[in-house]
Amino acid sequence: MVFTSAALFVRARGPDEFWRKRRVFKLAAHFHGRPRNVYTFAVRAVHRALVYATKGRKLKKLDMAELWKTRVSASAEQYGVSFDAFKNSLLKSNILLNKKMLADLAIWEPRSFEALAQLSRERAVVEGMPGIQERSVMNQVYGLKNLLKK
Amino acid sequence: MSFLLKNIVNLPRSGSINQLTSSFRCLSLTSQLSTRHNLNYKPPKIIAKPITPIIPQRSPSEDLKACDNIISKVNNVISEKEEGRLFAVIHLCGKQFKVTSGDIILVEGYWPPTIGDEVRLEKVLLVGGNDFTLIGRPIVDKNLVNVQATIIEKTLTHTKTHFKKKRRKQYMRINFQRSPNTMIRINSIDISGQIQANSLEKDDSTKIY
Repeated sequence: MVFTSAALFVRARGPDEFWRKRRVFKLAAHFHGRPRNVYTFAVRAVHRALVYATKGRKLKKLDMAELWKTRVSASAEQYGVSFDAFKNSLLKSNILLNKKMLADLAIWEPRSFEALAQLSRERAVVEGMPGIQERSVMNQVYGLKNLLKK
Repeated sequence: MSFLLKNIVNLPRSGSINQLTSSFRCLSLTSQLSTRHNLNYKPPKIIAKPITPIIPQRSPSEDLKACDNIISKVNNVISEKEEGRLFAVIHLCGKQFKVTSGDIILVEGYWPPTIGDEVRLEKVLLVGGNDFTLIGRPIVDKNLVNVQATIIEKTLTHTKTHFKKKRRKQYMRINFQRSPNTMIRINSIDISGQIQANSLEKDDSTKIY
């Protein structure tokens, strides 16, 4: 134990109670109301918070996967390909980019993503996969073809 | 690039695009403005219709010619060094990263290389420049792309508290864990040499992806 002040040194002589509570209060320092100041409430809140933090580490990964899937499916549908058809046809062409990368490419490298979309589209048509639609009219209006014309 | 187009039959794109441009014309503002006085006016629906798969008959020689054309263009860009700042998608320790030169990436978990080591990242899934993208199936030819990196830091993560509790069951467990982290800096991404028309490697069974 480190005694940063005389007051803490005095406290250290007693039973463990002070230090045990202090450990909990340190974690509850940013709480609001009684969970911050009253031990019985603080200990409950801290336990609950720690459980959430433990579970949250796993949930964060799942959430990110869901987000990437949403992003990729939105950008694939811009080119008239459903997410499943897009991913499957890329897989059939032996292109093993994951959802994270595809979402990244869709946002930051739209021309590369367009190439992937065309590729998968043609593959999907050849394989007769479901989920292939006419290219969206909106894409024709606001799409890359019009934006990037030199 | 032909390895991308191989096994894939190209569809004629002109037909559908012309249809779309005509439908776009119908959608344009002027036509809507002129019909605005009509209260019964309904805007045209922009619902994508499913298409019937038609495989067009195109000669393979035509495809090959198109491929050669693209490849020579890309080769031109590379030889004149006009490819710009390259980016690459690399596969490292079970994760994929989009990197460019100068980037620092974080490798989580145990990874043997130590500080100061220079490594070459060989699993390159995709390389892109200003005007072209090389897509690997699944990786780009090893002799074509060179991604160099240096290990700059090896540390541990912050302490993660692993806390489990069951209510009313007198069950509570707490553990603390720190896992190793490695920071690596991408020094350079280069394309060396020219793209070959038939650069499909022979299947190497010793290769581990």
